[in-house]
Amino acid sequence: MSATTQAAYAAARPGASARPRRGRRTQWLGLLFVLPALGFAGLFFLLPLAMTFWMSLHDWPLLGAHSFIGLANYAAMLHDAGFWHAMGFTLEYTAIVTVALFAVAFPMALYVEHPRPGIGLLRTAYFMPAVVGLASGSLLWVWLINDESGLVSAAAQRLGLATEPLSILSHYWPAFLAIVLMVVWKMAGFTMMLLLPGLQAIPGELHEAARIDGTSGVQRFRHITLPLLRRTLAMTLVLSVTGSILAFDQFYIISTGGPQNRTITAVYWIVNTSFVSFRMGYGAALSIVLMMILLGVNLIQMALLRTREGE
Amino acid sequence: MNDKIALAILAVSALAAPAARADSFTIWARSDDAGFMGPVVKAYNKGHADKAKLNIVVASQLVQKFAAAEAAGSAPDALSLDLIYTPAFASAGQLQDLTDWAHTLPYFSHLSPAHIATGMWKGRLYALPFSAEASILVYNKGLFKQAGLDPARPPATWAEVTADAAKIAALGGGKHGYTFSASCGGCMIFTFAPYIWASGGTILSEDGQRVTVDNPATHAAIAMYRDLVAHGGVPADAQSDNGANFIGAFAAGQVGIQGAGAFMIGLLTTKYKSVDFGVAPIPGKDSGQSSFAGGDNIVITRDSKKAALVRDFIAWAYTLDAQRLMAAHGSLPVRLDTASAALDGLDPRYAVPQQAMATGRTPYSVVFNDIINSANGPWVEMVNKAIYSDDPDGAIRDGQAKMQAIIDRARPKG
Repeated sequence: MSATTQAAYAAARPGASARPRRGRRTQWLGLLFVLPALGFAGLFFLLPLAMTFWMSLHDWPLLGAHSFIGLANYAAMLHDAGFWHAMGFTLEYTAIVTVALFAVAFPMALYVEHPRPGIGLLRTAYFMPAVVGLASGSLLWVWLINDESGLVSAAAQRLGLATEPLSILSHYWPAFLAIVLMVVWKMAGFTMMLLLPGLQAIPGELHEAARIDGTSGVQRFRHITLPLLRRTLAMTLVLSVTGSILAFDQFYIISTGGPQNRTITAVYWIVNTSFVSFRMGYGAALSIVLMMILLGVNLIQMALLRTREGE
Repeated sequence: MNDKIALAILAVSALAAPAARADSFTIWARSDDAGFMGPVVKAYNKGHADKAKLNIVVASQLVQKFAAAEAAGSAPDALSLDLIYTPAFASAGQLQDLTDWAHTLPYFSHLSPAHIATGMWKGRLYALPFSAEASILVYNKGLFKQAGLDPARPPATWAEVTADAAKIAALGGGKHGYTFSASCGGCMIFTFAPYIWASGGTILSEDGQRVTVDNPATHAAIAMYRDLVAHGGVPADAQSDNGANFIGAFAAGQVGIQGAGAFMIGLLTTKYKSVDFGVAPIPGKDSGQSSFAGGDNIVITRDSKKAALVRDFIAWAYTLDAQRLMAAHGSLPVRLDTASAALDGLDPRYAVPQQAMATGRTPYSVVFNDIINSANGPWVEMVNKAIYSDDPDGAIRDGQAKMQAIIDRARPKG
């Protein structure tokens, strides 16, 4: 980067200006303001979490009496091939859907970043699928990919791409990709909306200065847009990864875990364990472990992005 | 004067007494039963001082809602419970013992044996038959005619099932010879398992402790289904169908033969009148027949204080009038000695599932939901893989091991 760009970059970096020192009184006032939120978090997150952990230490059937078994549920988990298979599938899905989501949402955000005639309409159109509930969206896609009455199968036959109805959900990759596609369709607009304020917060002078320095569009994206978007990207990535690791509805509705149980996610496994096998205690233990895994993944993400930011 | 007032109070009290004694009890039923539960409870309430208060619960949530209500101390007095859940409820100590009272019923020996068998736990009876369903074959007579088959002669052996299906599939034009829902555990135990039973095979041991599905009859039945997939024009989505399309293609007149239940008779005769259909027992390989006996048991919950009221309701439900009413609203009679009379005047095709139900089977297991009914359980995974993968024998072996592992895990320790 040249001197022109560096000067503008330094001025634009978040946290570049000195923060005013806050007094003790302001801190107490701040605590008072967040107290209601803390109360809600305690009542609706910490308390259920503690109860879930307590439950995980018991043999707790859905019907009948429960008994304390210590960490036996956690020990049993080590031999639960089904859960680890579901966990592996969930991570595979998370990796694929996150890449796909950003591959679509980023260009969309770049395209609608600057105001111009009709851009509001475009932004609305991109965002629209996000307002459809995940269950409703999944049901819509169940119809779309239905082999007898769905649009995809009929279109493939009309276009001569298939000679008979396409049974997308009967095979692993078509079923899996159909679900990934549905999620990208539904969530790309939402991801775009998260990225948009970050993009718009990058001062135009930076790009202008870099342009004067003779940089290419790719260079500007690599050295200006990406570094200054890191915080927004971190938040968006955490949201996307968290949502994907907790995926359930779309698999429950579209593939029902099939074909042959190959699209069962971790949460799906926990739901089955708790409400089909009626093993609430073991389901609680799985939930605690999944939460720890999720926490670990999020911490690694944050640490990586923070390190890169400090470089 | 005081004496007169006292007498007047006594007279009013005496008149009011019968009304004060009238009581009520709560009964829950799954949403699948809404068709007959409403009329049955209404009829009972009309003729009795004591009242039944009915609550219809979404079928897939009944067990969870009951568990929550039980934990909160607000469980219903009675449940019309899918009979496959009865062993799980009884083994968890959720039900009242009905053994002694049940044996006082003069017609006890004529109640559906499959229902009674699922109501047993450690030699005691915790449930009685309430509603019934049975699996049968339904076939499209119109397609039989078009394919040159005799519509008065449904398939009676596996060879005839595959041959008839192949002929119907050969008609083309989107017609399918046979169909099933290979990703629906409940559908496959209902419609596929009878082929195994009718040919001498079993799924579970009588006590539900041993999985016996890896037997010659299962291998042969799987081979027949593979043959149907190869030559019988089975729809492409049968492999992934979780039951959502279980009846759709047949009701649309596109399918020649399929396994279904008595409910199909009511459905086709009221909503899909253009389909000319016949019904037949599910046949064995070379002879014989079998069926899955389904439906509901009625149970009294552990903490209910209204057991006497519920018993009165159950006894009334076994009267011919009540059995007729239930039959007219979609449930087969569970009292076999009056079954013919209860079905009198209804579609004569009901006689086939009624006979099938009388001799039908229901696998007994405290983990039935886990191993068989679940959309992701080992039973449906086994059947799906065995029909559609390249290693049917391995799929059956694997399925047996997975089912046995679940049973072993659930077995009480010590």
